[in-house]
Amino acid sequence: MPSSSSTEPPSSTEPPSSTEPPSSTEPPSPDAASSDAPADAETASTAATTLGTIHEPQRLHPLTLLLRVGASLPALLVILFPLLRNPGSTENITSLVLGVLYGLFALPAILLQYWRFSYRITPKQIVIQSGVLTRKNRSIPIERIQNIQIERSLVARGLGLAKVKIETAGSSGTEGSLEYVSADEARKIRRAVRSFQRDTAETEAPSRADDAADAADPAAETLFAMPLRRVLLSGAFRFSLLYLAVIFSVLEFFNPETLLQRVFRDDRLDWLAGLVLSHPAAAIATTVLVAILLGWASGIAVHLARYYNFRLWLEGDKLRKRHGLFTVTEGTIPLDKVQTLILRTNPFMRAFGWYELKVQTIGIDVDEQGHRVIAPFASAERILELAGRVRAFDLPDSFSHVSHLTIRRRFFRYTAALTAGLLPAVYFWPADWLHPAGAALPWWGFALVPAALGWAVLQYRNHTYAVGADGFYIRRGVLSHYLWIVPTEKFHAFHATASLFQRRLGLKTLFVDTAGAAGFAYPEVIDVPAETADEQFRTLYRRFRRLYRARVEAATGAPDTRLSPHERPRLPTNAPL
Amino acid sequence: MDADASEPARADVADGEPLRSLAPSIRAAWRIKMVGLSVLLFLPVLFYDLTHLFSPNAQLPFGVISGGVLVSATLYCLMWPRLRYRAWGFALRPEEIYMEHGVLRHIRTVVPLRRIQHVDVSQDLVEREFALGRLVVHTAGSRSSDVVIPGLPLPEAEEIRDKIKRFILEDPLVEEPV
Repeated sequence: MPSSSSTEPPSSTEPPSSTEPPSSTEPPSPDAASSDAPADAETASTAATTLGTIHEPQRLHPLTLLLRVGASLPALLVILFPLLRNPGSTENITSLVLGVLYGLFALPAILLQYWRFSYRITPKQIVIQSGVLTRKNRSIPIERIQNIQIERSLVARGLGLAKVKIETAGSSGTEGSLEYVSADEARKIRRAVRSFQRDTAETEAPSRADDAADAADPAAETLFAMPLRRVLLSGAFRFSLLYLAVIFSVLEFFNPETLLQRVFRDDRLDWLAGLVLSHPAAAIATTVLVAILLGWASGIAVHLARYYNFRLWLEGDKLRKRHGLFTVTEGTIPLDKVQTLILRTNPFMRAFGWYELKVQTIGIDVDEQGHRVIAPFASAERILELAGRVRAFDLPDSFSHVSHLTIRRRFFRYTAALTAGLLPAVYFWPADWLHPAGAALPWWGFALVPAALGWAVLQYRNHTYAVGADGFYIRRGVLSHYLWIVPTEKFHAFHATASLFQRRLGLKTLFVDTAGAAGFAYPEVIDVPAETADEQFRTLYRRFRRLYRARVEAATGAPDTRLSPHERPRLPTNAPL
Repeated sequence: MDADASEPARADVADGEPLRSLAPSIRAAWRIKMVGLSVLLFLPVLFYDLTHLFSPNAQLPFGVISGGVLVSATLYCLMWPRLRYRAWGFALRPEEIYMEHGVLRHIRTVVPLRRIQHVDVSQDLVEREFALGRLVVHTAGSRSSDVVIPGLPLPEAEEIRDKIKRFILEDPLVEEPV
C-alpha cells in the first residue's frame, strides 16, 4: 500500500498558503524570502509553498522506466551473445530460452518496481516506500539529513532527469535514493528539505541569505572554480590504472588472438615479434613507456570526467559544489558538519606547489571514500585560504617530530616482513631456475634491505605533529603527504596505545578520533615518546573539556547544570562488588 | 599551556583516583570461553596425530604436536584471563569514561560522555551464567566507534547505562552531538 498515511504529521493537511501556486517549480521569489513579516509563520508558509505537491506520495519520473530498461540491455546482450555470433546454430537454445525468460521476468520486474516505489516529503520526514515482494517503508527524519546530492548522468541530462541521493549522519552509505525524478523536482525536493530544516533550527538571518542565494544562484559567492586548463593540468599529476580495466574488459568480450589478427595483418605481426625477440631490452623499455603514457592519459581523462567545470560556492552556512563532465554531481556540505580538514599532495605535485583539499564529514559519500573533495587542485596559498574559509584555523609554526626510534621500529618491521616473504621462497626455489651469480634469485631480494631503511627514514622525516591552541595537526606520509587538521571542537574519543614492541622502546601511538566514516589513513601520531604522548593526551583532552565547559557556561551561566553531583554517572572506585 | 595549568584541579585524565577493576568472576567467564576455543583447536590436531599413528614416514614421534598444543592451550587458559583481568581498569568520571586494557597492546581510551550516541548492555550465554553484563558505548567515531567494558555486574551495568542516558539527555547545549 503506497499510502499508509497514519504517521503523517497534522501540518501536512493544512492547505498551502496562497502566495504562489502550489505546483510552481519556480524558486521562491526573493521578495517573499526577504520580507520582514514575523519569522515563524512566514517561513512555514514559504515551506508549504515550496513543497507544493510533494506532500502526496509521488512516483518517480516515467522516463525512469526507459532508463532502467536501457541499463539492463547489456545483460540481455551478453545472454544473446552466442546467438548473435553464429545465428542458426543448434546450441543457441539455452541463450534463446534465457532471453525469453529475461523478457518474461526482468521487464515486468522493472515495471513492478517502478509501480511500487513512492516517496513523500512532509515537514518532519521523507518517506520512501519500495519493494515488490518485501515492502520497505523507510522514513528519514528531516533534521538528520546532511546532504541532498543531485546527480545527473549524460543520459539523464538528455532526458531532463536527475538522481537524488539523501545522506544522513551515521549511515554507512546513501540513506535513500530517488532514481530518477525530473530535474525541477530534484531542485524542489532540496529546497523543501532545506526550508523544513530551517524551520526546525529556527535560525533566521542566515536562512534568509541562503534562500535568496538559492533563488539567484550566480549571486552566491564562488569560492573556488577550475577552468578547463586547470582540470587538465590536475589530471596530468594523477596516474590512473583505469586503462588496465578497459583493456581487461575488452579482452573479456573478444578473443585476444582474433583481435590481434584484425589490428595487425599476419606479416606485420611476424615483423613485430621478430623485433621484440631481437631487442628484448628495447621492447621492455617501450612497454614501460607505453604503460606510463597510458596511465598518464587515463589520469587526465579521469580528472576531466570527474572535475570538469568544478565550482564550489558558499551559501549561507553551507558549501555547495557542482562538477562533472558526463555525470554532473551537485552536493552540499554544511560548514558546521566538517569534522576534519585534510590537505593532501604527493612529492610530484609538491615539487610544483600543488595541493588537494578534502574534508571529512559525517554524511558519507561512498564515491569519495568517506571524504569530500573541496578543491581537487590548487596552489598552497589558495588551499590554505580555502581551508580557512571552511573552518578558521591557525597553523602552528613549529611541528614536532615523533621519536627517531620509529626508524628502528619500522626498519625492523620491514626487514622482518621481507625475510618472512623471502626465506620460504629460497627454500622452495628450484635448483634449475634463475641463479644470478650463483645464488638463488630470492636471496637477491635482501638487496632491498637498505631500501627498507631509506623508506623508514623518509617516513620519520615526513611524520610530524603539533598540538595547536585550536586543534590537533598531524602530518604524515611519504608518497601521499597528508596534513590533517582536527579542530578541538570536533574531537571525539582519545586513544593512546602501546604495543609490546613500543613499550620496550618507551613509545606510544596517539590518536584522536573524529566522527565519520572509516578511511584508509587515520590521523594517528605513531611512536611518540611515552611521556610526551601522555602529556599531549592530557593537553588535548583538557582543551576539549575546557572548550565545552565554556560553552555550557555561556549557554546556562553555570559550568555544568546537569544532574546534581550524586546523580552523575560515577562509581566508587574498587568498591566491593 | 599556562591557561591549562590554571584550570581548577578537577579529576584529571590519567592520574586521578585509582581505577576500578572488572568483576572478578569475569575471569571464570573468559576462561570458559577460552577452554571452548582451545578444545575446538585441539580436536583436529589430535585427530591428525591419531590418524598418523602408524604412518611409516612420521617425522615426529606420536603425541608431540597434540601434546604441544595441549600444553600451550592449558597455559593460555590459565594465564591469559589473569593477565587480561590485571590489564583492565576503568573509571567513570563526571564528564568522561576512562579505560585501560590490553595485554600485548596497551590501550588507554577517553570517551567524553558528551560524545556518546547511545549505550547498550549486552550479555552472552556464559556471561549470563555469571550475571555479568557488558556495557557497549556507541560513538560516531571513524574507527573503533564502539567502546566495550565487559564484566560488570548486570544491575550495575544497567544503572550506569541509565545514568549515562540521563546525562546525555540533559545536555544544556542545544547543538547536535556531532
